[in-house]
Amino acid sequence: MHPLVRWFHQLGSPPYFDRFAARWAPVSYVLALVVMAYGLWAALFQVPADYQQGDSFRILYIHVPSAWMSLFVFGLMAFYAAIALIWRIKLCEILAMACAAPGAAFTLITLATGSIWGKPMWGTWWDWDPRLTTELILLFLYFGVIGLYNAIEDRRAAARAAGLLAIVGVALLPVIRYSVVWWNSLHQGQTISLMGGSKMDDSMLPPLFAMIVATKLWFIGSLLARARADNLRREAGKDWVLRLSQGTPSQGRQSKDTLTQVKDRAP
Amino acid sequence: MSYQNYVIAAYAVFFVVLAWDFVAPRIGIARELRAAKLRAARKQARTAPDGSNELSRQTAE
Repeated sequence: MHPLVRWFHQLGSPPYFDRFAARWAPVSYVLALVVMAYGLWAALFQVPADYQQGDSFRILYIHVPSAWMSLFVFGLMAFYAAIALIWRIKLCEILAMACAAPGAAFTLITLATGSIWGKPMWGTWWDWDPRLTTELILLFLYFGVIGLYNAIEDRRAAARAAGLLAIVGVALLPVIRYSVVWWNSLHQGQTISLMGGSKMDDSMLPPLFAMIVATKLWFIGSLLARARADNLRREAGKDWVLRLSQGTPSQGRQSKDTLTQVKDRAP
Repeated sequence: MSYQNYVIAAYAVFFVVLAWDFVAPRIGIARELRAAKLRAARKQARTAPDGSNELSRQTAE
């Protein structure tokens, strides 16, 4: 078997995934903090103030990456949920549900920082603008997924129900993306393009790209940590969880653990 | 710095929400491991070979 395929199968084993997440979540957090430290330092102290907005434009260095993450994470959650529904892979159920809380966190940051920026620039904390309203609906969808997952006692049935909501909710993502094009919106249109042609000055872009990378790395750390917590919750009572709680993580069980993931896929 | 209070407020929201996002799963993991430990302790007490976990009962002779 190809090593990558074998690794993928091993990852489906709960004890193997626990070890994987415990190892890589801290690494991801540390990398995120290092990149974020540079991004924030450059955003706050290096980049010149905007000629119209003054220093308030520095808010966009956390607002824009968070807004992109709010959409990206929802799409990823729906992708995992679709895989979980089609192939009944338990790990994908766990990962889909682990996406919801960090996604909601990024959406909350987007709305709050946008509101704080809007007060001095637009003269109001909030406007029922298409972009703002659809982003608020996205936050409610995240809350819906989290609420539905925790409202049903059976973990697998709960993940399937909440996953279905995530898949249906994907229809909102293009509406958010193109709301500034389709409707007459107070929110500005696209300013930054990864393919070139950004309307921002080049000197203002490096911290933004650093923050985009940092938020991605942070999300990976958060996803692994939350998936690990849910994995332990689902596996409560198993021997490997017991050994882990007593400070003796399971070792040398890969072959047996790999076999257990086949059972996990059973409907 | 112009609009200093707004910039500080926005970055404060960013850090508070990320701090919650960092702490919340750690609390969940610690809770699950603690629950597993307690479950194991209860199981061990139930299966103690000398029956020391049994309630003592005095019977009238």
